[in-house]
Amino acid sequence: MQIIELGKVSNSGVMKVATGFVWDWAFVLKMLPLLLKGAVMTVTLTACAITFGTGIGLIIAFMKIIKNPVLNFIGGIYTWVFRGIPLLVQLFIIYYALPMVLGITLDAFPAAVIGISLCGGAYIAEIIRAGVQSVDKGQMEASMSLGMGYFQAMRRVIVPQTYRRLIPPMGNEFITLLKDTALVSTITMTELTRTAQIYSASHFKPFEMFLTAGVIYLILTTFFTVVFGKLETKLAQSE
Amino acid sequence: MIKVESISKSFGSLKVLDNINLNISPGEVVVVIGPSGSGKSTLLRCINYLEKIDDGKIYIDGKLVGKKEINGRLVEAPAKEVYKMRENIGMVFQRFNLFPHMTVLQNITEAPVLVKKVSKQEAFKQALQLLEKVGLDEKANAYPAHLSGGQQQRVAIARALAMEPKIMLFDEPTSALDPELVGEVLAVMKDLAKEGMTMVVVTHEMSFAKEVADRVIFMDEGKIVEEGPPSQIFTNPSHPRTREFLVKIL
Ligand SMILES: Nc1ncnc2c1ncn2[C@@H]1O[C@H](COP(=O)(O)OP(=O)(O)OP(=O)(O)O)[C@@H](O)[C@H]1O
Ligand SMILES: [Mg+2]
Repeated sequence: MQIIELGKVSNSGVMKVATGFVWDWAFVLKMLPLLLKGAVMTVTLTACAITFGTGIGLIIAFMKIIKNPVLNFIGGIYTWVFRGIPLLVQLFIIYYALPMVLGITLDAFPAAVIGISLCGGAYIAEIIRAGVQSVDKGQMEASMSLGMGYFQAMRRVIVPQTYRRLIPPMGNEFITLLKDTALVSTITMTELTRTAQIYSASHFKPFEMFLTAGVIYLILTTFFTVVFGKLETKLAQSE
Repeated sequence: MIKVESISKSFGSLKVLDNINLNISPGEVVVVIGPSGSGKSTLLRCINYLEKIDDGKIYIDGKLVGKKEINGRLVEAPAKEVYKMRENIGMVFQRFNLFPHMTVLQNITEAPVLVKKVSKQEAFKQALQLLEKVGLDEKANAYPAHLSGGQQQRVAIARALAMEPKIMLFDEPTSALDPELVGEVLAVMKDLAKEGMTMVVVTHEMSFAKEVADRVIFMDEGKIVEEGPPSQIFTNPSHPRTREFLVKIL
């Protein structure tokens, strides 16, 4: 077994580079299918979180934008709570505490999806609200002065103007959601991070496992960066 | 046509409109002047109920604006009725407020198709006529960002006219324009006035006021200080504050 002494400082004060550490390619290749399987779960979780999170975000944003004090209040409470509590704690509450209180036991997967979506929804709601409210007030006034109703103006004039401004922050948020799925490893969800964790512990190869996992995450997040970058230039051209 | 009956409006503790009375007959062109913050924009915005009033009544064609009388009590009218009322009142803004994601043609046809359920074909035909009228028929497929300020404002006027309003409100339509572009917008407004459109125009373009206005209203601190035909207001104002103001802008 190799001993890893990365970054250990010797008494002469000089950094000692990995003593006797050898990167084990064979092990990485052997584990790659397992890590990829974990990555598929990570992608699945991300896809669910994006779908439900965006749905929740749209609803909450709508509640916050519309002129209705009750809905404004509910929307405000929602973002206050779900942005104010760490996702990790939210996941523990959903997975470990709720069953005790309500007697409902959730499987890890639904618990994970619910947790990430609820939290992501709060951030997405804020992004959408900010996007809609960044449209010049004159646009709503002009629409109204032409006899349009509030919803007609929203649908035809205001919302279409937000698409381009929403792309960069939404891209960021999707990347955050993807990375946040690593947290559900704590509620026994076997996705990429937990897969790496399990096998690095059993084979004492944390460096290989976590670095490979890191590279897979990097590939996935780069995919979002590229796609959203393309979308942005495309919409910029059409304007 | 427009009857404003002692309306008042405050923003917080600031009284922006203070007991305003105004009667405008069909075909009349009224120019409103006054220092910044005197409430000119707010008055226009109250007329089409973009701004609610605290007190008083506004009638358009004898019909109460934004309110309803139920058992002798005034209550807010349903939103639908307010929207309907606005179809009769066109408004042109200082900053044009064209829809940047739509072409000129879409800007003009959007409301007639969406609100009045005019067929697309008919709306296009009418839009092209209006564009010809404001001298921009070759810009039909351009986006607002590619037009000069003067052109944008003329499109904005065409857009308002597409709803076939009975009244047109203009809030400083030329003050965001480079001086050399002011003339083309004023020319369109003059044509409109000649055709008999009822117009309320907030502007400091004295040439326009002198030539087209039937009446000039001077506002200060939320009140109508003085009103009269342009010849009288400009050459022989009776109120010292009007005189002071005119000295500054002429
Ligand atoms: N939505 C608002 N909330 C608070 N105060 C407002 C609002 N709209 C206008 N005001 C204030 O009301 C006063 C009158 O505003 P208004 O825009 O009617 O003046 P104006 O005569 O059009 O001025 P200007 O020549 O600068 O356009 C100003 O002091 C302005 O700051
Ligand atoms: Mg103004």
